[in-house]
This record gives sequence, C-alpha cells and structure tokens, in this order.
Amino acid sequence: MADSSQSQADTQAPLDPTTMSNGANTELPVLPGQPQDPAGLMASMADPTMMPVLPPMQSISADEIALYDRQIRLWGVKAQEMIRNANILLIGIRALGNEIAKNLVLAGIGSLTILDHENVIEEDLGSQFLITEENIGKNRAEAAAVELRRMNPRVNVIADQEGIMTKMPQYFAAFQIVIATSQPFEMASTINMSCRMFNTKFYAADLHGLYGYVFSDLIMHSFVIEKDKSNIPSKAGTAETSTRMVVHVETKKENNKLREIVTKQEMYCPLMLANSSPLPPETIRSRRAKMRVPPLISCLRGLFDFQKQTGRQPSGRSEDLALYTKITNEKHLELQLPHETLTATVFRMFLQNLGTEIPPTAAFLGGQLAQDVINVLGMREQPLQNLLLFDGDDFKCPIYSLQPVFDPSLSMMEPLDVGMAPGMGVNGNGSMPTTNGGGPVSDTTQMQDDAHQAQG
Amino acid sequence: MTDSHSTSNPKQKQVVARERFQHRALGSTHDQLKKARVLLVGAGGIGCELLKNLVKSGFKEIVIIDLDTIDLSNLNRQFLFRHEHIKKPKALVAKEVARKFDPRATIVAHHANIKDEQFNVEWFAAFTIVFNALDNLDARRHVNRMCLAADVPLIESGTTGYNGNVQVIKRGKTACYDCKEKQVPKSFAICTIRSTPSQPIHTIVWAKSYLLPELFGVSEAAAMNLDTSESANNAEEIEKLEKETAQLRELREAMGSDDFVRKVFDQAYKKDVERLLSMEDYWKNKKAPIPLDYETIASGSENIDPLVAKLDQDVWTLQQTFTVFKDSLLRLSKRLAEERAAALRENQLEPVIEFDKDDEDTLDFVTAAANLRSAAFNIDPKSKFDTKQMAGNIIPAIATTNAMVASLCILQAYKVIKGDLGRTKELFLSKANMTGDSSDLPNPNCMVCSRVMMRTKIDLEKATVGDLVDILKLELDYTGDITITTESSQMTVFDYLDDDDDDEDSLAKRRDTKLVEVGVGNGTSLIVLDGGDDEPRVDLQLFVEDMNAEREQALVVKFVFNDGEKPEIPRKPAKKPTEMNGTTTLDGEAQSAATGSKRKRGQDDEVEESAPAKKLQTSANGATQEDDIIVIDDEGAIVLD
Repeated sequence: MADSSQSQADTQAPLDPTTMSNGANTELPVLPGQPQDPAGLMASMADPTMMPVLPPMQSISADEIALYDRQIRLWGVKAQEMIRNANILLIGIRALGNEIAKNLVLAGIGSLTILDHENVIEEDLGSQFLITEENIGKNRAEAAAVELRRMNPRVNVIADQEGIMTKMPQYFAAFQIVIATSQPFEMASTINMSCRMFNTKFYAADLHGLYGYVFSDLIMHSFVIEKDKSNIPSKAGTAETSTRMVVHVETKKENNKLREIVTKQEMYCPLMLANSSPLPPETIRSRRAKMRVPPLISCLRGLFDFQKQTGRQPSGRSEDLALYTKITNEKHLELQLPHETLTATVFRMFLQNLGTEIPPTAAFLGGQLAQDVINVLGMREQPLQNLLLFDGDDFKCPIYSLQPVFDPSLSMMEPLDVGMAPGMGVNGNGSMPTTNGGGPVSDTTQMQDDAHQAQG
Repeated sequence: MTDSHSTSNPKQKQVVARERFQHRALGSTHDQLKKARVLLVGAGGIGCELLKNLVKSGFKEIVIIDLDTIDLSNLNRQFLFRHEHIKKPKALVAKEVARKFDPRATIVAHHANIKDEQFNVEWFAAFTIVFNALDNLDARRHVNRMCLAADVPLIESGTTGYNGNVQVIKRGKTACYDCKEKQVPKSFAICTIRSTPSQPIHTIVWAKSYLLPELFGVSEAAAMNLDTSESANNAEEIEKLEKETAQLRELREAMGSDDFVRKVFDQAYKKDVERLLSMEDYWKNKKAPIPLDYETIASGSENIDPLVAKLDQDVWTLQQTFTVFKDSLLRLSKRLAEERAAALRENQLEPVIEFDKDDEDTLDFVTAAANLRSAAFNIDPKSKFDTKQMAGNIIPAIATTNAMVASLCILQAYKVIKGDLGRTKELFLSKANMTGDSSDLPNPNCMVCSRVMMRTKIDLEKATVGDLVDILKLELDYTGDITITTESSQMTVFDYLDDDDDDEDSLAKRRDTKLVEVGVGNGTSLIVLDGGDDEPRVDLQLFVEDMNAEREQALVVKFVFNDGEKPEIPRKPAKKPTEMNGTTTLDGEAQSAATGSKRKRGQDDEVEESAPAKKLQTSANGATQEDDIIVIDDEGAIVLD
C-alpha cells in the first residue's frame, strides 16, 4: 500500500488511506470548511447506525409544484419533498461535474456543495458549460456555483475551494450522498470508506473521452417499486439477487386492478472490494457472454492499478505504455475475459481518450448518475448496483454487479452492522454480507419502518 | 502508439487549448464537424441540451428554430431558460444564452414554425445535418420528409419520462421516421364515454369533451350526430343520445338563472344516469350506476369553502367535489355572460369557453364534473393534479433523460459526419438501461421514403398544368398515364383518366389551367402517381419552389436533380397484401398512421417531446399516461382534443 504518492499524501492530508484504516477509532478533529446546514440534517445524521432519518418535511408549496410539475408527475410529491431536503457533496467540478450539478440543481435538491480546489484553465472551456472565458484563473467551484445558483435559486449551492486532501473523514457526515468525480482510485476509495463511517452513500464516476463509468456504494438502501400485481405475487423475505431482497409487500386496489407496492433492499460493497471482484457469473457463463463484455472494464482496472503503482496516469512514454499494457492484460485475464477482445485498437482508442473530456459523454454519464441519485433520494426505483460502463463509440452501456466472492469460512461471522463497515472494508477481506441477500436480519424491521415513513 | 503529450507534433500545436480534448478524442471527426452546418429543430427539453452539446462540441454554424414561448413548467429541465425569460420565444433566448458557451460559434435563431413555406427543401438542402428535438408527430414527419427530399441526414429523438429514443435517418440508407408505424393515439368508443364509463379517464373525457363544450362551447354532439349514419345495432342508442343532447342544449338557455346549477346537475347526474339504468341488459353482470340526488349532496356541502379547489393533490370528498362543481360552474357562467356582452358590443363572434389545462376555471369544472360522474358510476375519483395530466395530455419530462438522449444524438452525429453510417444505431433508453440495435434499412413499402423526391422550380405566374405534364414526359420519360395531386389537400391537379375523354374543349381548358389555380404554390408538395398497368413506377414527389430570380427563362418548369444527374425512378416492388402500413383497432377499424390524413394531434404543443415510444409505460406514480384522446363513432375517429 505504501507507495510514493501515498506517503506524500500522508504528510499533507488528513484524508488518506492510512488514517482511514483505523479511522473508526480515531478521535476526529473539528472540521475545516464545514458547510452550512440549513436543513438541519446534521442532527438527524448524528447516529451513524441509523438509516438517514429525514427531518420533518415542510409540505411543498404551490409554486414549487408548478415549477417541478413535469417531474412530480413522474416521481410524485413525496419523492420531490425528499429530494428537496437532500444535502449532497459533489467532488470535482469538471465536465462530468458540470452535468451532474446541473441535473441535481434543476431537480431541486436542498443543498449542493461543490468541492474543487483547482482554478479554471483554458482547456476547461472545451466541455464545461458552467464557466466562461472570464473565469479563467478563478476557482472552478466558485465559478460554477454562480451559474448554478442562477439556474435554480431555490437550491443552496455552496462552493468549497479547499482540496479534498485537506478534508477530515467527518466532513462527509453532513451529506446524504457524496459524489466523487475525476478522482484517482486510491482517493475515490478513501472517500468511499470515510463515507461508510457516517453511513453516507457514495458514487464515483469519471470519463475519458468517449468512455466512462459510474460506481455506486449505497451501503444498504431501501426503495419502493410500484407495479401491477402479477400472477406470482411478491413475497417479503425473497432474495431476488445475491444483493437484493424483498422486505415488504403491500397491495392496493386502483381502478379495479391490484397494484403491488414492494419495498426492496440492496446491499452494497465498497469500491475497494468491487474493484477486485469477479464479473457476475451470468456474464462469464459462456464464451459468447464473455465476448459481449466491453474490454473497457479491463482498461479501467488497468488504469486504477497503474495509478496505484505510479501515482499518475500513463503518459505516452513507451515504458508507461508497456507497464499499462501489462497490467491491463493481467486484469483482463483475471476477469476471465477472452484475450481477443482486448485488441491493439482497444488500447489505442482508450489511451487516446484517456484524461480527455467531451460534452456528450459527460452529458450521458452525468444524466445517468444524477438520475440514480434522484431516485435514491426519493427512495424509488431500482438503483445502480454497482458499476455502469459507458462506451460512446460503440453505444454500449452495461451494468455489472461486482461482488466479492463468498468465502464460507466467513459465513459464521455476525451480520455486519453498517456502522462497522469502514474498518472491515479497508481490510479488504471480503467480509461484506453479499452472497445471499439475507443481510442483517435485525435491521430489517427498522428498514421497513423507514420505508413506510417514506411512503407516508 | 498515441503520444498526446508530445508538443513536437506540429499538427497538434495548431489546436487551441479549449479544443485539445475534443481533438484528441475525436481526431479528424472534430475537424469535419467544425465545417458542418447544423439545423436544430426545437429548443425545448432535448433542444436546450443539444444546443449546449453542439456549441461545446465545436460545431460552428447552427440554426435553431422553435415556435414556442417559455413557460414556468419548462424550467425544471430546459436549463437555458430562467424565470425572467417566461413568455419569451424559446429559440431567441436559447441562442442568446448558448452564445457564451463558445463565442466563436454562429447561432441563427428563428421564432417560427418549421412548416412555414420559407423553410423549403432548398433551405434544408443547405445543411450538413439536421437534429429533430420536437414534441409532436406532425412536425417530426414534416422534417423527416424535408430531409429525405433534400437528402440531408436527420437525427431523430424523443423522450417520455424515463424513456427515450434516438434514430438516424438517411435517405436510401436507413429507415425513415415513417417506415415503421407509429403508436396511434389512444381512442375510446363514443358509447364508453357517453354511456358506459368504467375508468377515471372515461369520466374525464366526458367532462372535458362533452359536458363542458355542451354548456360553454361549440356543441361537439351536434356535429357528431350528422355523421352517424344508422347502423342497425345502435340506432336506438344514438337516438337516445341525441335526445339527451337536446335536453342539455336547453340547459344553456337556463344559464344565469337561479336554478342553473341544479338543472345541470339533475340532467347530468340524475336523468342521464337513469336513462342508462334503463339499459337493463347491460348492467346484468356489472355494478349498476346510482343516480345522484342534488338535495342530499347539496345539504351536506353548505359549509364548505370553495377554496377547497386549491387542494390539487388531494382527492376531494363528494361534498367538496360538489362545492367545486357549483362554484366553477358559476364562475364559467359569469365569464361567458361577460364575454358575450362584450362580443355583442363589439359585434364579434359568439364567444365560447374551451378546456385549457392552465385555465383554473375549466380545470376545476372538469375535475369536479368528472368526479361526480365517477361517484355515480362507482369509479375511483382523481385529484385535480391527476385530472390535469389526463385531460391536458401532459407527459412527464425530466432533465436527465433529455440530457442522455441529447448526448446520444451527438454521438450518432459523430458517426454520420465521419461517413460511418453503418455504425449508427437505433437507441432506446429506459428506466433500467440503454439498448441499441443496428439502424434499420428503409422499408421498401414505406409510403414516404419509397418515393422518389425532387425539387421542382416553377414559374408560378406562367406555368400551366400542361407544362408540368409535358416536362414529366420529356425529362423523366413518363408515358402520360399519370395522376398528379397535392399532398396536403389531396386536390387533383391532373388525372390522365379525365384526359382520355373526347371533350377536346374541356381537355384543352384543363391543360391550359395555371398551376396556381389548382392550388400549387411555393412550398407545395405534389405527388405523381404512375397509372400504367404494367410495372408502374414508384410515386414521385415534387417539392415546388417559385422560380423567382430565374424567371424570364423560356422554361417554366425545371427539375433540380440532387447530384446534377437525372434520377432513375424505379418500378414499384410487388406488393404483398399483408404489408399495409396500418393497424387495426379494437373495433376493427383500420387506422394507418402513415396515411391517415384525417387524424390530427390535438394540443401538440403541450406534449413534451413525446417519444414514439416502443415502450410507453405506465407512469411511476400509478397514473396512466394518456396520449391524445379520440372518440370513435362508427364512421371514423373524431379527435376530441
């Protein structure tokens, strides 16, 4: 773990993997740059063992209903109220960050903090629509915030100019959701683990030209699906996948049709574990299936590892290319993917796109990620579990559930409490309860109650 | 391999910093798109996103057109617009705002209808690529045709809630917008609406399209009854309906009198329901309706404040519903009386009040009137909020879906501009994921793109029908056995069958008739049908342009060939009888989406980029999405919107 980039981080950053590994026991100092907390979310989030309990909601005004009419017709007033009470942190406001911020601000979240310590450079004007030439040399977060506030004055937009490295883990406690864009793997993973300490849901996303990804760790998330009742009724206690379970079913009658209101729960694993987990069995069951997996996943894992080893992205130097190619080939094999799919063209295209940002990819990934966040806030619809890849050259957008392999020797362990997650995750020993969806049984009742409150 | 960090490459040095990323990711495509001329049709949800992506991607010449103005309910997704822009033209505001994305781009905005004749085929032909970001079928089909005629690639897109789609249309290479049948607007049999409602939408349509117009508007029923030629089965039923309509019309006379509310109520919820109860057979296996009693409901609602109408998220109680019914009926009566008085003073036409989802009085009335009927028929009542959606054909729309669809449009455009049509796809976006298929090939039986299309310059001052027929024979080798009609109004310009008659005088007269006199003008589209019995040619479509500047030439009709070369007009493929471009509705009436010129979409402007969705879903909050509402009687479909 200890490589040059990290030891450098040690000296200057409270937020670094070494601190984090025993973070759960560390007395945390008072935070710098703590955002205002207009919605009083801090208080409700104080107990990290609880699901986020939302503060009492003000009922939504007629003006807001008129403004948000077309989306309320999709997700309902109750979801809109939960969206309005949300406090979200967006790390990195480049092309992808611009899109995510726009979508969240338009949707009417309560508060958005954008964290970026860098200044606007001319390259940023290529794809970042929240800034103009006049902003060159100014802080990126500040510049973007001005335009975002104009876009929807109802949203409290806070610009935080400090570097992510300066943040203490506690910084993340105030937020329901943290979105990390354009972060190297180690940093994204560290933020992820910090978030887990405070039961804050986490997304990581990045784009490289025509390619990109979105990763989600929602720890444990309940959501409601409403559908016509089918011949086979949904049943509480059913494990639908290795991570998803039906926890509650209600039926109601509407126009003489029976509707089911199904509350489900997804269990997540952190980025660190997902990144070393195999593809889901159905994806690698046959050769045909394997051929369909975009080699982009190997390219990304190769990039993460390259960054871990060198602390930077591969340059055009031949030794970098040799190392990157070697690592990526290993990742491809590890994923059990056929070597024919990882061609020279794939390498060339990916490396050419590496580190670049273009508007359509940013718009697509920003739309996907923001919509997932909105659904998660409203506790509706199936959320992303847990990696979405986007190939804008070949129009592919698969989602893979990457879960650590079940190790029977660990099955005797107690069900994992959410509050314990960070410490365990950093061990990387695969101790997350991911295989049977049984999850922490003791929590189920609590989850049901929460879900009921959410539905009203 | 690539060496993007190198500064020794002289080609890279020329790239300005803000274009560096695009240039690296897209290579030569980036150079090509900088030279492209782009037309963007629509500055709504998808249009705003597209405009941002286009300017930021490095397109330098963009024309945007939209006839709409900005509304409060647009602001949750049309991110170029702010509160202060409400009521301003979308195209103009979008242009102003998007300019700052890259001051080097030239954006021209038209606050106009894309169907205006100034936007003719010649105008379309000047673009490299066209993007559709529209909200209605009619305009989509128009742009589809224009792009086919001008042979310009078109990126077509649409969204509905979480769903979206993107399609690339290129003449002769991929399927056009009309190659596949489109979903026909939802329709209801007239008897369902008037006599046997069973769902909330039935009573809402009744209140909006029957009761409201009967009291305050142009009586639809009167027009309808002219159409109902007696079909034995329902003659009796129709007679009853007519009688009922006559009674309702009498009610209009009572407007303004003290017992107006009571009279309307008794007619609509007592007498009418009693009439339906008399159809005993029908209710044998169903729960029969219960007539409502005015006294009972009125006495229970005396103390209710009419402001209850503001609670638009709640389902009102029967008493609250009655209060809103009474109050809105009086509000509408008062309005109509005032408007009538004003019209009389100023000698204007008799005023009417029509349903408008944003007109509170009409929405209150429709909500209350529909829910009272629902109470009689044991149907679940709906909130005002839900009623607005169902009566106003509102389709949910969100920023994220529009952003993703617009993004896919640009990625498709990269392929088109690169000349890589084979790698374009037909893409679908849903709640769960994005899926794609290879772009379809043109449907050989498509009514639209199987035609040969041609621009035709005509000296409208001089040219006669005969001139046109002669040049078709001379230049395109027609035998003369042809029929020429105008596409929009289906007027016959020339028919060879008439030409055969022996009446020399009338024949000469017809041939000497000026084209303008038979409805041909600048922008007219003419269809030339080959009447030959053996292997007829496919239909030829001529887009007429006024000769203007080129007048004075001897030639009064001149074809503009796309590649400067006379096109081959192929023979029609042998038609299989089953491959008609149409659908059959439940009551057995064939409806062709591609040819049904009688059908029109109502209130298109209110429908947000409705996707011609393969996968229209019930909206997530359980309310059924209703598309256009059509009432069908035995003789055809009548749009009640």
